Amino acid sequence: MTTNEITEEAILETLRQVVDPELGCNIVDLGLVYSVSVTGQKVAVVMTLTTAGCPMHESIRWGAQQALLSLAGVAEAEVEVVWDPPWHPSMMTAFGREATGAGNF
Amino acid sequence: MQVSLPISAAVNPSPARAAAAGSLLGANAPSIALPLTFTLTGLLALCSGMVWLVLQPSILAGYHYNQYVIAATHLFVLGWICSVVMGAMYQLVPVALETKLYSERLARWQFAFHLVGFVGMVWMFRVWNMKQVGHFGCVLGVGVGLFVYNMARTLWRVPRWNVTATAVSATLAWICLAILSGLSVAAAKCAYDSTSSATGAVGVLLGGLRSIAGFLARFNPISTMHAHAHLGGVGFFTMLIVGVSYKLIPMFTLSEVQSRRRAICSITLLNAGLAGSFVTILLRSPLKLAFALMVVSALAVYSWEISAILRARKRRALDWGIKYFLTAIMLLLPLSVLAVVLSWPGLPLNTFTGQLENLYGFLGFIGVITLAIIGMLYKIIPFLVWFGRYSRQIGRAQVPSLADLYSARLQALGYWAYLAGLTGTCAAILLSNETEVRIGCGFMALGVTTLSLNVGKMLAHFFKPTLKPFTLPTSTTAKIA
Repeated sequence: MTTNEITEEAILETLRQVVDPELGCNIVDLGLVYSVSVTGQKVAVVMTLTTAGCPMHESIRWGAQQALLSLAGVAEAEVEVVWDPPWHPSMMTAFGREATGAGNF
Repeated sequence: MQVSLPISAAVNPSPARAAAAGSLLGANAPSIALPLTFTLTGLLALCSGMVWLVLQPSILAGYHYNQYVIAATHLFVLGWICSVVMGAMYQLVPVALETKLYSERLARWQFAFHLVGFVGMVWMFRVWNMKQVGHFGCVLGVGVGLFVYNMARTLWRVPRWNVTATAVSATLAWICLAILSGLSVAAAKCAYDSTSSATGAVGVLLGGLRSIAGFLARFNPISTMHAHAHLGGVGFFTMLIVGVSYKLIPMFTLSEVQSRRRAICSITLLNAGLAGSFVTILLRSPLKLAFALMVVSALAVYSWEISAILRARKRRALDWGIKYFLTAIMLLLPLSVLAVVLSWPGLPLNTFTGQLENLYGFLGFIGVITLAIIGMLYKIIPFLVWFGRYSRQIGRAQVPSLADLYSARLQALGYWAYLAGLTGTCAAILLSNETEVRIGCGFMALGVTTLSLNVGKMLAHFFKPTLKPFTLPTSTTAKIA
């Protein structure tokens, strides 16, 4: 895979490997990933967590970074955790809602 | 598009990556060894206490003002509840309040004082050597002092003050008073012959204790003991349960606090009610009913808010950990009824009233508080184990979720066994029936055994981790906000 092949789809599929251990669902389908951008061999992800003060904060951020670094063609990965806008369950995909046992919104 | 990571990376992390993972607990939390040490000590005390109750059911079947009851109570309260609560506070308070623990070193020292203090106290209560109880109590008190100082300095740095921080602060004040009143009660029961010869800080301490003891001797000793028990039971443990609920229940159920006003009201009423209760219990005043009702009102407002939080939750299914915790909250209702009955002015002081008092203490400490703690332990221990074993692997291999670390079947078995045992023991206490107390406690011991087995199962992950190569989930199109 060359640098040009690092697509948003590939990044999201990679981030689906990172599962919130409390909720048992990956961070993409939980709706925690706000944006991804690729600049050359560098990937930058902006994401949030379900709650401020989440004990998994560092682990999940680090896990996302490691997953991105494992993606072929990625030399640098930056994961920023933001709290604005705050996460809401309505941001979950249908798969995320099913995995967490959340209802519809 | 499928993207899979090499399993080799999962099994053999490179040194650079492993080193980078060293701070994965975050800047705020202490190392997992600290809370785990407190927690495992607490669990050992709980198991010992349950075995003791099975072997000596007369502890619960007779009046509570004797050496065995007081020794067993302190084993449960200091050994089990305090150990777990303090360990959990070292872990959760910094994380939940987004600050950093002031000193992990102080916390380790506190553990040493705590262990020596409570083991010595329980033993000396059992042989009814009150002077040694006082000495070991001072050791425990030094530990509590370190704990309070550490927590106070931690709270000082909280960036955003909230209702949970307020409740945690209040607990620190109440535990100080609980320890001081306990030491004073112990001092009041023995003559300090050595006071005159002691010098320096020890002399000041003993002199102070003797003065307080002289003052406390004016009060009824049983009332003094009850007032002391309420400082610990309501001021430290119940206040903490109420305060942290407003952070943890929304976190675990994907909900949020529905009324900040209700949350503040519950904490305020609880503090005011406890302050009044302490004084009126000590003075045997008929006004204690009014303050008991104030505490009950606080718990009613708290239950109302928890109910609202749960109704608004987005995670419909409640796991067994939360069920344990919510059962504890539901048991606040019979406990409140008992509190009102026992506070009733002119209540006759007969054998049945004595058993009602036993039931009140038992339901409070072994029912409400223990069930709440077990529920939260099923959140805390998996977190600690997961952090210790899997946080370096996340993003590089498929790691188990927290729920995968223990057996839900054992949890369910433990829940029903404990609840059945609790119900049976409560009935047996009212009937003063030793055989039934033994049977009830046997069921509760079964419940505690399932907890221990599950804890063992969780700890086994340190030695035998479960790691799998990535397999991509089937999912719908992701939405990027």
